[in-house]
Amino acid sequence: MRISSSRRLIAVLSATAIAVSLAACSGTSSASDPNTVVWSTWGTPEELTRFEDFNQEFMKRHPDISVKLQPVASYSDYHSKLLAQLTSNTAPDVFYVGDDKIGQFVASNRLMPLTALMESGESQTKPDDFFPGLFGAAQTDDDIYAAPNDANPDVLWYDKAALQAAGITEDPATLAAAGEWTTAKYLEMNTALKQAGLTGSMFWNYWATHYSWISAQGGSAFDTSGTFDANTDVTSVEAMDVMARNFQDGTFVVADTLPEGAGADSVFVTHKAGFFSQGRYTIGTVTSAGVQDDYDIVAWPTPSGTPAPTGVAASYLAINAGTKAKDAAFTFWTEFLSAEGQTFRLSGGGNAVPSIKGADDVVLEDGYPAHAQTFLDMRDIGFAAPPEEARVPGLSGDVSDLMLKLYQGNDDAQTALDEVADLIISKSRS
Amino acid sequence: MTLTQRTRTLLIHTALGVAALAMVFPFIWMLLTSLKTLPQLLQDPLSFWPNPWTLNNYIDAWNAAPFAQAYMNSVYITVLAVVGTLLTASMAGYAFARIKFRGSRFLFILFLATQMIPKQVTLIPFYLLMSSLGWVDSHLSLIVPAMMVNPFAVFLMRQFVLSLPKELEEAALVDGAGRWRTFWSVILPNLRPGLGALSIIVALDVWNAFLFPLVLLNTPDLFTVPLLLSSFRGQFGSINYGLVMAASAVSTIPMLVAFVIGQRRIISSMAASGLGGR
Amino acid sequence: MTIVPSSLVEQPRLASPPPAGPRKESGWRRRDRRWGYVFVGPQLIGMAIFVLVPFLGSMVLAFASWDGLSELTWVGFDNFISQLQDPLLLRSILNTLLIAAITVPIGLGFSVVIAVALEKLKTRTLYLVLFFAPVVTSTVAVAMIWQQMLRADGVLSSSISKIFGIAPPDWLGDPGLALISVCIVSIWASMGLNVIIFLAGLQNISPSVIEAAKLDGAGALGIFWSIRLPLLSPIIFFSSVIAFISSLQTFDVVFVLTANAGPDNATRTIVYHIYDLGFGRFEFGPSSAAAVILLLLTLVITFIQFGVQKKVVHYEDGAE
Repeated sequence: MRISSSRRLIAVLSATAIAVSLAACSGTSSASDPNTVVWSTWGTPEELTRFEDFNQEFMKRHPDISVKLQPVASYSDYHSKLLAQLTSNTAPDVFYVGDDKIGQFVASNRLMPLTALMESGESQTKPDDFFPGLFGAAQTDDDIYAAPNDANPDVLWYDKAALQAAGITEDPATLAAAGEWTTAKYLEMNTALKQAGLTGSMFWNYWATHYSWISAQGGSAFDTSGTFDANTDVTSVEAMDVMARNFQDGTFVVADTLPEGAGADSVFVTHKAGFFSQGRYTIGTVTSAGVQDDYDIVAWPTPSGTPAPTGVAASYLAINAGTKAKDAAFTFWTEFLSAEGQTFRLSGGGNAVPSIKGADDVVLEDGYPAHAQTFLDMRDIGFAAPPEEARVPGLSGDVSDLMLKLYQGNDDAQTALDEVADLIISKSRS
Repeated sequence: MTLTQRTRTLLIHTALGVAALAMVFPFIWMLLTSLKTLPQLLQDPLSFWPNPWTLNNYIDAWNAAPFAQAYMNSVYITVLAVVGTLLTASMAGYAFARIKFRGSRFLFILFLATQMIPKQVTLIPFYLLMSSLGWVDSHLSLIVPAMMVNPFAVFLMRQFVLSLPKELEEAALVDGAGRWRTFWSVILPNLRPGLGALSIIVALDVWNAFLFPLVLLNTPDLFTVPLLLSSFRGQFGSINYGLVMAASAVSTIPMLVAFVIGQRRIISSMAASGLGGR
Repeated sequence: MTIVPSSLVEQPRLASPPPAGPRKESGWRRRDRRWGYVFVGPQLIGMAIFVLVPFLGSMVLAFASWDGLSELTWVGFDNFISQLQDPLLLRSILNTLLIAAITVPIGLGFSVVIAVALEKLKTRTLYLVLFFAPVVTSTVAVAMIWQQMLRADGVLSSSISKIFGIAPPDWLGDPGLALISVCIVSIWASMGLNVIIFLAGLQNISPSVIEAAKLDGAGALGIFWSIRLPLLSPIIFFSSVIAFISSLQTFDVVFVLTANAGPDNATRTIVYHIYDLGFGRFEFGPSSAAAVILLLLTLVITFIQFGVQKKVVHYEDGAE
């Protein structure tokens, strides 16, 4: 009996040991040889499939280099993982960084300086090939540390059916073409929508919303030295006051406050809102609801009707400063970002706009939305996430929290902007 | 006035029925949503019944991501972790309940205290540790710690062992059986009901683990079901909730089925093993 | 009613067995002591390597300034000082304690009532499965449904508004109500397991005790208060310790239900605070300091619970 029970113990233990060692074998060690490029990004299954296709094409062109993708599902989880990897020097050779985190990564010297490489003969991506406003915090006075992989200008999508239902006869894009797309017209339309029982406009509560509005109204959020000055700029304070009053009376809606699953997308495609500030990815939403013919896009309205710079969401591609595969990594980086690379990634149901010159056909080829050119125009003059905010992780979210208080009527514009100014100063000092 | 047995039962059924409906409603909603088309979800998100009904979300979810592989991974990781935990936790529970050894009280309190450490805090040092062991991007980093650390399980098994009559093992010990043989052939068989209960709790934990697998696994072939599931939500744009719900259903239904099959044994076993008596 | 193997249920209730047993010699005791360590060994080693070492690692960070990317610098107790003065931490602690104070009694109370009701029924399998469903429902589904239910223009709010003639409550948008919403969802999500555990406990109460009380003329309510509840108290205590510890670690519900910890940080909990400092802001020093503070808080509360336990909890045979 003693023997049999200890035999059983040995049997259990050895079975466990075998199982565990099998598990150990199934892991692939990320090789640190100079011809293997490991890169990581977030994305939906469809996007990741496109990236795998890109890898295959790339390896066909460069049989000596092998490329591996480490996908991470969601945007917020992605950075937690990347951070853990960087602390133990096991991060990928090339990786995406979000525009709200890029500043911290640049400051930490973990990213490879790229200007010299970008200007070298190997490069298919010269610094001037990119639209200058899109670098944001990825560029310092000294060097470029990452480049935008693509961009998404926040345009105003509008619902022609909803405008019609509210008795609006003018078409925003037509007005814009004539240089008559003014703030007054826009607010007038919103009032009409509200009176017809519809939502005027929907905005996500993030930096591009606040700063696009301020900029479009002729104000300034950050002065030339990068200091937040919206609270001392009369035009900006007035602009935010107008915006806040529209949020408070329900003409504008903060899209984040709508519930998951029955949110802004659903409100928009069911013709219950006039305008929705979003990027090119909205094509997927309106198309899958089968109502794409009712929608078009227009730039943000300005007092004079002349377009002004507004916000462009971007994410960045960087090279790990500690990579063992520097040459191969740069080859991959530059081909991923080149006009050809972006065309490959964004064509056929693409959800973004190229960040580099020479790939604009991708946006125009489908002829949808009718004024797709507006995407390109807004990208050309637009600005990325302000470096002053992007340099401190979490700061952008804190600023938006203060703005939300304003939008919900718990603060007046001057007080809210003063609080934002104080917050940015206190966070930047430490 | 006294209520008859029948009306009382009816009242209880009504009250429980309402409560149960509230409890299960999100689950039903998840299933119904998974059977709706994207146009319906966008056009009429509050509609209850799918119109038309579709299985396409399940097909798309299954095709979009390597579910079969992830299932294999999750199942074998969960099984190994559960078996390992049952063994190590019942051993430790037995020692804390029945063997007098120096420091046992201190160690038991230490176990309880580690239960209070929020896991999120240790993520980075844990990752560094796994990295230095060479276990990053390997299932070892999930299985071995799960097998060897579970203060809750130790606490629970101690309670279960305490509820066993002492005579059981004393008879064996007097017969000259050693501690190991007593544990293996007397204690463990009598703990079987409690082990059933514990295995469901541990399996739920391991099956649903997200943050640590997310950080520790890189290669898609090694992903577990929750990792795959999270990939159905992108950064921008419309989320196809039908697809997300189909993927969720595919990943959670096995646990519910396991519970349905096991619940009778689990409940009666919890009762039998005297969890209630302590 | 399920018949419980009486051999297992009844025996623990017997008086303690005579101190018979293997008291052969001190050599046996010494060897036996070693067996204690052998049996605890795997879990002890696991805990030391996989929990204590990483935890000590993050404790060290509590005395440093580190963003996970750059060089680490030592700052002494600065993180603790700054955290204790941080209104956000105080807010988080307050929120967390409120969540614990609301969810633990109400959640366990409901679970006991439901378990008692279920125990009276012959066919309860269907109910059990239904009550267990939240435990396995995906968090995305949970977020979808509850955000929908808790909308200001949703069914719940508009019926409340009609019945009481007040403005429809904005459950997730109103800072005062957002925390209540988190509590509601937490209770909903955790009730299934507690019902099952309590049901098991109730089935363990020998029917003869109840019968005896009935013969003495006790009513249903009287039996509940004087027999069922006291006999169930040890398991309620066990569950309340576990429930308190896990409610002090509330994170998932806040994360899925209220974006960015709700309006004006109304639902910011300590673990959310710790996670946000570390992975949202890359401030691992203050994050670790907050974790130490949470650990101390949890220890204090658990000690209080064990103290109260001695007075309130009824043990059959005086064992702990």
